[in-house]
Amino acid sequence: MPNTATPKPASLELKIDSDAANIAAARHALEAFANNHGFGDPIAAELGLCANEALANVIRHAYLGASDRPILIRAEILPALPPATPELRVTIRDWGTGINPAAQPRKPYDPLTPGGVGLICLQKLMDDVIYTPQPDGMLLTITKRKC
Amino acid sequence: MPDLNTGTDLVPAARQEGDTVVASVRGEIDLHNSPELRTAVLDVLLKPNPRKLVLNLSQVPYMDSSAIAVLVEALQKVRRTGGRIFLTDLQPRVKGLLEIARLDSIFTLAKDEKEAMTK
Repeated sequence: MPNTATPKPASLELKIDSDAANIAAARHALEAFANNHGFGDPIAAELGLCANEALANVIRHAYLGASDRPILIRAEILPALPPATPELRVTIRDWGTGINPAAQPRKPYDPLTPGGVGLICLQKLMDDVIYTPQPDGMLLTITKRKC
Repeated sequence: MPDLNTGTDLVPAARQEGDTVVASVRGEIDLHNSPELRTAVLDVLLKPNPRKLVLNLSQVPYMDSSAIAVLVEALQKVRRTGGRIFLTDLQPRVKGLLEIARLDSIFTLAKDEKEAMTK
């Protein structure tokens, strides 16, 4: 009997404390997840960098440097029928200040002034970046399509 | 050719040659350890007030924006006295981030230490 059920998307879930020491392990896990699902090194690297920057923003701005607050990271592969391409979607949930980094007024980017590089990475490297305010924090969803 | 002790494994080797400081950086650098890099670069490598700081990044497979911020802060400091920072032996991910941050044309990039020393 043919299997007509929709395949369950592959997924990964990580729960970490908001300690900067945890960023590297989370990044490595996400890069391995992307690689293991055929997204290739360049996309895995871009995803890892963007997740790194998003987690750093959570630690610095949502949790104001506190190292013992929760961060929930979920990654999943969204299959697609041709000609559409599969997507890799990562959500990062925090229970912090709820400030939307993308909505903050900012000066035009100046390479010689520290700051702003993280958001530029997200905007340039990901296909979609959505901040969804929650009653008790923020949900960031970043999506990368397989080339 | 005095050696400089940075006190961190992130910068395991550094030396002064005249008005130039040459240092090797090692490891993945993110928000967790970039403060260590900042201390080593600003408090040790720039203390002799070099005209030229050469950072060999051959052993840095990855850095994030917090490391970039350290480099930019160092560049600002060096520029105030007319100095320059050379970044050598860039790995692809580091080079890619510098390009995204539009810093590839602001720092002086060199193939290796030898090229940086002759520029």
